[in-house]
Amino acid sequence: MTTADLTPAGPMDAPAHPRPAAYPLAPAGTVPSWWRDASATALWAVLLWVTALWVQGGGLAELGSLAGLLTSTGRLTGLVASALLLVQVLLMARVPWLEQAWGQDGLARLHRTVGFTSFNLMWAHIVLIALGYAAASPQGLWGTIVDLVLEYPGMLLAVAGTAALCLVVVTSVKRARARLRYESWHLIHLYGYLGAGLALPHQLWTGQEFLTSTLATVFWWGLYAVAAGAVLGWRVGLPLWRSLRSPLVVSGVRPEGPGATTVTVSGPGVARMRVQAGQFFVWRFLDGPGWTRGHPYSVSAAPDGRSLRLTAAHRGDGSARLAALRPGTRVLVEGPYGRLHPGVRSRRKVLLLGAGIGIVPLRALLEALPQQPGDVTIVQRAGSREQLHLAEETSALAAARGARHVVVEGHRLVTRRSWLPAQAAHLMDEQALRELVPDVADHDVFLCGAPDWMDAARDAALACGVPAERIHLERFAY
Amino acid sequence: MRRITLWFLSTSTALVLLFSYHTSTAGAGGSAAPVVAVSGASSGTDNGAGSGTDSDSGSRTSGSDSSSASSQTYDGDAVQTRWGPVQVQITVEGGQIRVADVLQVPMANHHDQQINSRAVPILNAEAVDAQSADIDMVSGATDTSEGYLSSLQSAIDKAGL
Repeated sequence: MTTADLTPAGPMDAPAHPRPAAYPLAPAGTVPSWWRDASATALWAVLLWVTALWVQGGGLAELGSLAGLLTSTGRLTGLVASALLLVQVLLMARVPWLEQAWGQDGLARLHRTVGFTSFNLMWAHIVLIALGYAAASPQGLWGTIVDLVLEYPGMLLAVAGTAALCLVVVTSVKRARARLRYESWHLIHLYGYLGAGLALPHQLWTGQEFLTSTLATVFWWGLYAVAAGAVLGWRVGLPLWRSLRSPLVVSGVRPEGPGATTVTVSGPGVARMRVQAGQFFVWRFLDGPGWTRGHPYSVSAAPDGRSLRLTAAHRGDGSARLAALRPGTRVLVEGPYGRLHPGVRSRRKVLLLGAGIGIVPLRALLEALPQQPGDVTIVQRAGSREQLHLAEETSALAAARGARHVVVEGHRLVTRRSWLPAQAAHLMDEQALRELVPDVADHDVFLCGAPDWMDAARDAALACGVPAERIHLERFAY
Repeated sequence: MRRITLWFLSTSTALVLLFSYHTSTAGAGGSAAPVVAVSGASSGTDNGAGSGTDSDSGSRTSGSDSSSASSQTYDGDAVQTRWGPVQVQITVEGGQIRVADVLQVPMANHHDQQINSRAVPILNAEAVDAQSADIDMVSGATDTSEGYLSSLQSAIDKAGL
């Protein structure tokens, strides 16, 4: 394996290593492990409650006749679909505890699964109810459908809500999404809120569980209120308030090699942000048309309470515009988000493994992690010289702290899925990892890079004996 | 005009028209006129076991004479079903049930109105045919049928048939 070991001659020669300067912000926020359990329990509780509501309403008792079976299961699917729809809204509401427990990328993938499940259950509900009502009435299927839509309370609204949700789901299928401009896709996606809201009247006015129980109605309103409140509060209100209260402006722009730019942002708002090294924001630079699209970029230096520094590679979709930013441009931020921070560390020894621009949050972590000489190893994988972002800074930091900085350069191996370059084809992934870091099983491993590369690196770490809960990664594309 | 303005106007138009429709703001009351008389009592009770249980509230023994001197009406007990009470009244003449009808049947929402406006005339006709409470239930109207049978039986008992 070709490695360029950029550390200077041995950590023994170096003088006493200064600890990283304490920054005047909140201490590293550890993420309690019970947050995940609590959020999963809450989801389970909501689904259990709606099922119990159905059972209590006589759902099981009605399964005897054909009409009863259809209508009863139709009601159950409707209840579950609607509960999942509210869960969908909550997942995207940027609730801090959810975000820290699962990570933005984890929540987004869950949002996709829950969304399609809810949609399918909604259609099951529509079909079963229509068939069930038709079986119990002399009007026939078409007559029942017309009667349902035109005469039952809130049903016309529900039909409109279904149309809105269909629009959302159809445009979210991968192939459709790829063909839409991001702004258009996002705007259409907002119709999901409309769909959820338009479904509410028919649930309360025609849904039998709610017609016969005030307690159930109160709880249902409660769920809707929680979902709406979460979105209005954390998704819309908080970022807006923060941005207006403490404006941020660009204070410096410099190129970082041929394919990247570093932007420094400062303002009175920075001191108030409880951001940790390794986290990211969603940035909007008010530099002309298209500013409404936000981009997630990681903070590339340990926060010092005075300014925020980000480094981004030019990958189209707006990142190339960063090079043309002028100092003084207003900046709107959402966040901080991200689980790649000192608070999730559980071991003294840490391996930071990054590829390409993924090195950015890891370089910030290197600066901010409390450490003794020899505790931290940072391995930087790059396809070519141009992708060795922030390499000089990183080796200087590593030298100052007694950490090991290893560069693994070379075009990627294409014959199999691997985190290694082509020159290392003769080595297995975990062999190479163990050679680099012999006691990796005792380390916390932080990964950042392209999704496929991260999967390969993660598999290698698992094969070396690192427990899954000690591998921390963040996906920026999902 | 920009495309987003067009989207906004279209969505607003759709919403305004939707909410102008009568079922969108009527509440749970529903719109169809009930075929059978006397709307049912509140259906806001919490769910019980599901089948009708006898209750003695509101039962009146007969006494009101109708047109013919020898016919008498008997009211059965108001039987509580999941959706509201069902109470049957029979008119007896010459030891035979001539007419059966309901005094109370759940009619508070559209679904109940739909189902019961179809089921009640069938049950009434069957009661007169069978001259007893030994009649078939109407499929799709199980709760109403069960309540009807219980109430009908109590009316028959009161009539001493």
